[in-house]
Amino acid sequence: MDYTIDTSDNCATVKIQGVLTFDDHEKFKGVVQSISTEQAEEIVINLAETKMIDSAGIGMLLLANDKAMKAGKTVKLAGVSGHVAKVVELSKIDQLIPVI
Amino acid sequence: MQAARQNLEELPGEDIGHVPSDDARILVVDDLKSSRMMIGAVLAAAGFTNLDYAGDGIEALEKIREIKPDLLVLDIVMPRMDGFDVCRKVRQELGHDFPILVQSGITNADERVRVFDEGATDLVSKPINAAELISRVRVHVEHRRLLADLRQYQRRMEDELRTVEAMQVSLMKSDEDVAAIAEPRGARIASHYQPSNQLGGDLWQIFPIDDDCFGLLMVDLSGHGVTAAINAFRLHMLIESLTDDRGNPAQWLATLAERLYQLLPVEHFATGFYGVYDRRNRSMVYASGAAPTALVLRNDGRNEELDPSGLLLGVSDDVSYDARTVMFEPGDRLFLYSDALTEDFKNVENSLSETDLANIARQALLDDGLNGFPDRVKAQVFATPEDEMRDDITLILMEAR
Repeated sequence: MDYTIDTSDNCATVKIQGVLTFDDHEKFKGVVQSISTEQAEEIVINLAETKMIDSAGIGMLLLANDKAMKAGKTVKLAGVSGHVAKVVELSKIDQLIPVI
Repeated sequence: MQAARQNLEELPGEDIGHVPSDDARILVVDDLKSSRMMIGAVLAAAGFTNLDYAGDGIEALEKIREIKPDLLVLDIVMPRMDGFDVCRKVRQELGHDFPILVQSGITNADERVRVFDEGATDLVSKPINAAELISRVRVHVEHRRLLADLRQYQRRMEDELRTVEAMQVSLMKSDEDVAAIAEPRGARIASHYQPSNQLGGDLWQIFPIDDDCFGLLMVDLSGHGVTAAINAFRLHMLIESLTDDRGNPAQWLATLAERLYQLLPVEHFATGFYGVYDRRNRSMVYASGAAPTALVLRNDGRNEELDPSGLLLGVSDDVSYDARTVMFEPGDRLFLYSDALTEDFKNVENSLSETDLANIARQALLDDGLNGFPDRVKAQVFATPEDEMRDDITLILMEAR
């Protein structure tokens, strides 16, 4: 995976490209770190360019959400489609992390 | 080990009068007795006292087989069998780890390269420089010890993994125990569980509920390795302790999910399927938390996919599941499996659809029904034994009577 972060106003958008799987643990730590250090209170994780996600990838999203909540911030998922949409629908994680 | 560490820490010339001894067994091979004695004296002065000698290649090979030295100091030009032949034979017999330090007067660059091509580990030139010889011997002796330690550590870890693997397998009920629960309650079950070579977190269980009903549970904890295995043991204890509401799948799975939330770190969770089969009307009420899609293979040839959607287990302490019902006719089969059968993230194009898997299962049932069913499915799904070992594999086939 690769990711970019754009901040405007009070919203930080994290775009995740490629696949989000077990091998991306180290890289995703950077995302979690940024969520803590960013000024923005709203974090949007954009998965439009995320081709696949496995259980470890879901775990990383849950971790990011948990870190944000503890810092008084909110996380939302955007651009959910294809394989990612199937996984979200199956696992109902939209009950924990809102999908916009 | 300790002696070797001391050697490395000691700076040359610093510690005068005391040389720590090293029990590494060194075989010195040279056709000239004076050379052998000289090398032996240099090594002995450096603390290497466990020395043996050979006068040519043939004698060297005999000694190597007999005394199994830790290091060879080898001359090249010798009668009967030269050092090149010894290198080749040693590599054939002992592999690449065994250190061979060649000491030779050859100065020709091509010949020096040939020494390494034939399998030597290192080369010192004649006439021997005592300090250089000792330094190199120490490096190779130390290297060999580290390698041996590492190998031993790896073997021990592998043994322990195999032990945990066996413990995981023993958590599952035996075929006899499964049959004793299922058959009086109107069902036959074929099951298979196989932990991955790195351990994993699959678990399945069958519970008798009353004279007519039994519960069928399959859980897959996220992650691999020791963490997932330890969590599987904790999950097993938890499952055994949750004896209330076993006849109510939605409620029971919700309780399990909430208890897992307290047990697991935030980024870990589980998927799960829990169904209760009732032989009186051949019904199964089930609840699913994102488990792989359970398949119903109808006796009349139709396949059905059971709705698997539901919140992951262990991500919230406030969760509810839908109770869904599926009816069976005699001969209909329910197929539960872990995601290792369908998902292949390394080669996405190899991932199987539910339809693919249903067809494979039907084909496997044609041959000999439930007997040997798991093995036939595995043979169809996995191209190589390595593919098969990557993740935990659980297969459960239930046939209604």
